[in-house]
Amino acid sequence: MTHANQPTKAARYGMTIDVDRCNGCGACMVACAVENNIPPVPEANDRKGLTWIRVFRVDNGEQGSARRSAYVPMMCQHCGADAPCVSVCPQHAVDVDPATGIVGEMPQRCLGCRYCMAACPYHARYFNWWDPAWPPGMEKTLNPGVTPRMRGVVEKCNFCHGRWHAAKQLAAANGQPDGPVSYTPACVEACPTGVIRFGDLNDAENPVARSVRENGSFRLLETLGTEPKVYYRSRKDWVRQIAAAPKPGQRKENGNG
Amino acid sequence: MKSTRRDLFLFAGGSAAGALLTPAPWRLITDTALWSENWPGVPAPPRGEIRTRFTNCSLCRAGCGVRARCVGDQPVQLTGVASHPLSRGVLCPFGLTAHHLPYHPARLKQGPHERALAAVSAAIGSGDRVAVLDLQPGRTASWTYRRAMAALKNGVYLTNGPSVAYDLHQAKTVLSFGVPVLDGWGTPGNVIAARENFRLIQAEPVESRTATLADVWLPVQPGDEDATALAMAGELGADGSALVLDHRGPAAAMALNQRLGALGRTVVARPEAPVPVEWRSAAPATALAQVEDRSIRVLLIDESAVDGYVPWYQIERKLVLDNPVVVTFTASHGGYARHAQYALPTAVYPEISEDIPTAIDSVAATFRLSTALIAPPAGIVNPAEWIATLAGLAEGDTIRERADGIHDSGRGAIYTPADGKTVAVKDLTAEAFWKSLGEAGCWIDEPRHARAPETTTAVSEPHAHDSDVDLPLVAWLAGPSSPPLLSPLMTKLYQESNLRLAPNRVALHPSDARAARLADGVHAFFQTRLGRCGVDVTIDPGLPAGVVQLGTAPGILDVYRPGIRAKVVPA
Repeated sequence: MTHANQPTKAARYGMTIDVDRCNGCGACMVACAVENNIPPVPEANDRKGLTWIRVFRVDNGEQGSARRSAYVPMMCQHCGADAPCVSVCPQHAVDVDPATGIVGEMPQRCLGCRYCMAACPYHARYFNWWDPAWPPGMEKTLNPGVTPRMRGVVEKCNFCHGRWHAAKQLAAANGQPDGPVSYTPACVEACPTGVIRFGDLNDAENPVARSVRENGSFRLLETLGTEPKVYYRSRKDWVRQIAAAPKPGQRKENGNG
Repeated sequence: MKSTRRDLFLFAGGSAAGALLTPAPWRLITDTALWSENWPGVPAPPRGEIRTRFTNCSLCRAGCGVRARCVGDQPVQLTGVASHPLSRGVLCPFGLTAHHLPYHPARLKQGPHERALAAVSAAIGSGDRVAVLDLQPGRTASWTYRRAMAALKNGVYLTNGPSVAYDLHQAKTVLSFGVPVLDGWGTPGNVIAARENFRLIQAEPVESRTATLADVWLPVQPGDEDATALAMAGELGADGSALVLDHRGPAAAMALNQRLGALGRTVVARPEAPVPVEWRSAAPATALAQVEDRSIRVLLIDESAVDGYVPWYQIERKLVLDNPVVVTFTASHGGYARHAQYALPTAVYPEISEDIPTAIDSVAATFRLSTALIAPPAGIVNPAEWIATLAGLAEGDTIRERADGIHDSGRGAIYTPADGKTVAVKDLTAEAFWKSLGEAGCWIDEPRHARAPETTTAVSEPHAHDSDVDLPLVAWLAGPSSPPLLSPLMTKLYQESNLRLAPNRVALHPSDARAARLADGVHAFFQTRLGRCGVDVTIDPGLPAGVVQLGTAPGILDVYRPGIRAKVVPA
């Protein structure tokens, strides 16, 4: 990612996810995989799977009728300037774009050392264990806006950077001044219940920017100070307790994820 | 100064070590990008003109509006149509990946056409009973089957479709016994839009996706539905604002819905788009249970469009014992192809233009076409044409005939996704109406034509049985049955995230798994008194003890019925 032509006004794209309204259908996962040309490797399992967003089911740890569950979509949390994955990458394959706040990953630079995976506290990075292969004929359905990645690199959510590029090109073609553009990532577009919302957190008038300041809004492992730009919302205390980072040496008492 | 060979080695070694301290090797590593950018194993996405086309999804009778982003004519991405009056911009995960289905590795592409035709023709000539089992009634193809069965001696048209439709927008309270209201039961966009206005009480033993978002979750055991319904009837009121749904079928909740005043208000007879007058002399729809046992010689099953699954044991008992002929029209090996003598390949969505029947959550009749986005492969069969030819029906464009019939009725209005406009049918010519349908238009009837359903009584089977004593678990389906083919990408995502139970899996509480000596991931047999089938085991502490949750593979459904007792034994 180059920053030679930085816009005069930077955006800070972010998301809000309303956990209380997520029904765990997985449409966001599916739409993301279609958009970003994730290959359908049949050998994938929960440890070697490749996806840019995964929906986790968490519960309050109770049994029987007292048990309550919730679904938490997890993608790269797009941490602030001191994102843990950026500082550990020996190849400078990861950076935080000052124009957008998006934590970018350049697979062509990636060596596959997976330091970034170890550093990421959200486990939101996935290693590409297999050659990208599709059943015969299905490669015709690939999204032309995103290049498939090779085996041996780390992948993650980039807030649908291809769509951001397309929005920038459209804005330029329409003669709009350089600056933040409005676009919609695939998961936001596909979410049937409108749980996931996306916008520029620097724009005070943006509904997403307003909602992150409301009560019930929280970020995952907030005490780590990674300053993620993905905000969750829930009225349930046990959900918020699961999301909070235990201080070093302090065991998490509630929750089961 | 005299240089020795040792000095030469020292110089070379020193140079090599020194080079590591320069940027050169790191630059070389970075340049691996030059090779990996053109890695030969990475396929190149197609290039071409980006176009937008519209269709309606025919994977289920919800028939959601679809905007297809295409490279040339090839769809590369499917999304919902925000202004669509029924689906309201929503597509389910199955619909989002439907453009992968034509390339599914397990797809059936070849079949014994000639042998099947010869066997069926010979059996029909003997004058024995011939039947068509239509798994998604209400389509134009369904009417072709009915007319074909009327034309044949001893022809019977069999259905399993729902006889009622529901209006969630009129409901203030919905009491659901295990129906996945918020997880693929109706038209997702319509259900979500209606959800804000009704209180949802979900009664089922497992905390399903619907139970998670319900206002109240009642952990009711299978078999306790009727008692629970009776206990709650007084609380629901009888002004018609409450609605009861039951996983055992509409008939199971009919008496309670009648008592609540829901019939004709929130529960109506399944509406259907008008048909040409000359079609109305077709064979009536007959429920499979109403056909006497051992009476069907030839059974033709249309599996190309499904709306639920009829267990094979219910079908098999209707077939004659002596050489029955069963032909299934299907896109996969997994369904009735396991039992049929002949499996003939059909097109899959979005390869063929066909109409979609009215959704279960629409009280107004609808008519829309799933217009083909790509061409089907050579060798596939159109079931309606095959059966029409068999019965000697005159060839013709039946979908166009039906569209003209709707236009002649002058009822309703049609919505067109390209411009988002809705126009009354009476303001359109027949040609313009047909053109709008071809552009994925959606015709919606006026709701005033809705009528109350016929009251029926559920045929209940006893839950307990003498042979159930060694069956310690109660079987419970994990969700709605899925289409016969799923995108490989979707299968992979759900497999690695454990978000949905795979079709061939069963899930058990750890204590039940320990008692049965089963470990997570092992192969086992799921057994009921209807039979047994091979499954993979998932151990889920979130399940209640005493319940086995089932995937919806046809093999499992063949030995399942609501409330049945079961056990899982090591393979």
